[in-house]
Amino acid sequence: MTATALSRAARNPRSPGERFGKHVLFICAALSAVLGAAVIVVVALETFRFFGQVSPARFFGGLTWAPLAEEPGFGVLPLMAGTAQIAAGATFLALPVGLLTAVFLRYYAGGRTASILNAVVTLLAFVPAVVYGYFALNYVTPAIRSVWPGVEGFNGISACLVVGLMILPTIVLLSREALGAVPNSLLEEGVALGATRRRVLVRLVVPAAAIGIAGSVVMAAARAVGETMIVTLAAGNPTGPTWNPVEGVRTLTTFLAQASLGDIPTGSIEYGACFAVAAVLFLLTCGMHAAGGALMARGQRGKPGAVRS
Amino acid sequence: MSESRGARAGVAIRGPIGAMGVAAALVTMAALILLAGVLLVEAREVLDWRFFLNPPSRVAAEGGVGPALAGSLWLTLIVAAIAVPLGVGTAVYLAEYAPPTRLVKAVESVLTNLAGVPSVVYGIAGLALFVRGPGLGPSILAGALTLTALTVPLVVVNCRKALQAVPDESRWAAFGLGASRWQVVRDQVLPAAAPDIVAGCCAALLRAVGAAAPLLMLGAVSFTTFVPGSPHDPLTALPTQIFAWAARPQEGFLALAAGASVALLLLMAAMHLVLFANRRRRKGTLT
Repeated sequence: MTATALSRAARNPRSPGERFGKHVLFICAALSAVLGAAVIVVVALETFRFFGQVSPARFFGGLTWAPLAEEPGFGVLPLMAGTAQIAAGATFLALPVGLLTAVFLRYYAGGRTASILNAVVTLLAFVPAVVYGYFALNYVTPAIRSVWPGVEGFNGISACLVVGLMILPTIVLLSREALGAVPNSLLEEGVALGATRRRVLVRLVVPAAAIGIAGSVVMAAARAVGETMIVTLAAGNPTGPTWNPVEGVRTLTTFLAQASLGDIPTGSIEYGACFAVAAVLFLLTCGMHAAGGALMARGQRGKPGAVRS
Repeated sequence: MSESRGARAGVAIRGPIGAMGVAAALVTMAALILLAGVLLVEAREVLDWRFFLNPPSRVAAEGGVGPALAGSLWLTLIVAAIAVPLGVGTAVYLAEYAPPTRLVKAVESVLTNLAGVPSVVYGIAGLALFVRGPGLGPSILAGALTLTALTVPLVVVNCRKALQAVPDESRWAAFGLGASRWQVVRDQVLPAAAPDIVAGCCAALLRAVGAAAPLLMLGAVSFTTFVPGSPHDPLTALPTQIFAWAARPQEGFLALAAGASVALLLLMAAMHLVLFANRRRRKGTLT
């Protein structure tokens, strides 16, 4: 920030306000940094301790996850597969609805409609995950089973549908931001050249925003990866590996939620396993966030005269 | 939003994209209406004054959310009291004061990354940091500290956006008139960013109040008859109460879960109103 250089000359270091600003705000920042670092360090330390007992090769290469079995398996791959299944399913369901809603909001809805729709999307974003989970288990699952009786009480379909609903606001709001970076002149010029509005939107506007939209999808998928309560309530926690979405699905997050229901002794191997799984979740979501953020920033580059994000 | 008005003006909603857009918007709205409708219909039998005061019970008809509601209020107050000043202070320091050193950049990127980490991870970290480590046990205080760890990065990220939206020109103008750095922050930047800061803090707090997963990891109780009166009492909160009831297949408990959901949404709406009123007042003083 160039303001730094300019203000250095102007500031009077002896006034009490200056000292307040400098010291109190610095302490806030230091405390926040310590708190954040503590979270990261404790997860990392327990994970390393766990890797002292179970080799990383067994953790990342093993194909069974059964920390409490007689012959315990600590292969995280089945959990990651379950997480991928839910996240991919949810994103796949949410993308068309979310993107179309964003296009509608940006290019079709008039002031009144747009503000109502905006409020609805914002409200959906604030509904707590556990409320969505309750909805999934007790309403969505029975509805699916009434059409398709082969679906089990705990199943991946219901979880995907409702996680999709939960990440819908992320896709709508961030895609709309991405579409906002496309100058209106593009649409106007296209229409002036005689193309239909639909053609201009499909061929010019949405492709121009594609990178930003991809970013919004990655951000939404990251939320789906971390979603715990909906998946725990709707998809249960089957012990075996599951590939069939009409059965329950076990993910990284549902393992953690299920483990917490029993009392895990501190320092036990299962306690360590929880931290290792949390570390995987941490790295996965951080990576996806960084990637999504980078894509969205690239999508904003063309925006005329825009500084605010 | 004003920029998009030109693109919209006078455009009738027609053509396949428009129709699909309408359909998608209707799906989105229907989902919310369905959710709200289901909750209200299911909860209508249980929602009365006793429900908000009674403790949970093995007999569904007598159950209530008294302890859980009190627990959530405790959590909200403690988290708001710690996370808001800490997060806003951090954001202001990072945006307005911090020299662009490596350490500062690292802190910034750590906090930004933490804002995207799922809430369960905070739960497991809180289990080691607060519940097991210093021996706070699964108490309200441990829950509040865990939720604080989750909320601070969100507040920082939201407030940084708010501060970045303040144009540099207003800072330069004030510096040019001889204002000190603190005067610039206090008189120019903060008032201009205040509505967005309040909205950002509000969003972060609402996220914390609705979080069930981290409290579950800490070992929150859902069948306590005891209304928590101090931060050292056992952790109980509305989201975990909903979880406990939602997973029980018996008829009566579904209504309780819906009622607890309504209570949680009401609490969130009340928080939103308080902050919104504040935001309007701030806006009023600005002009």
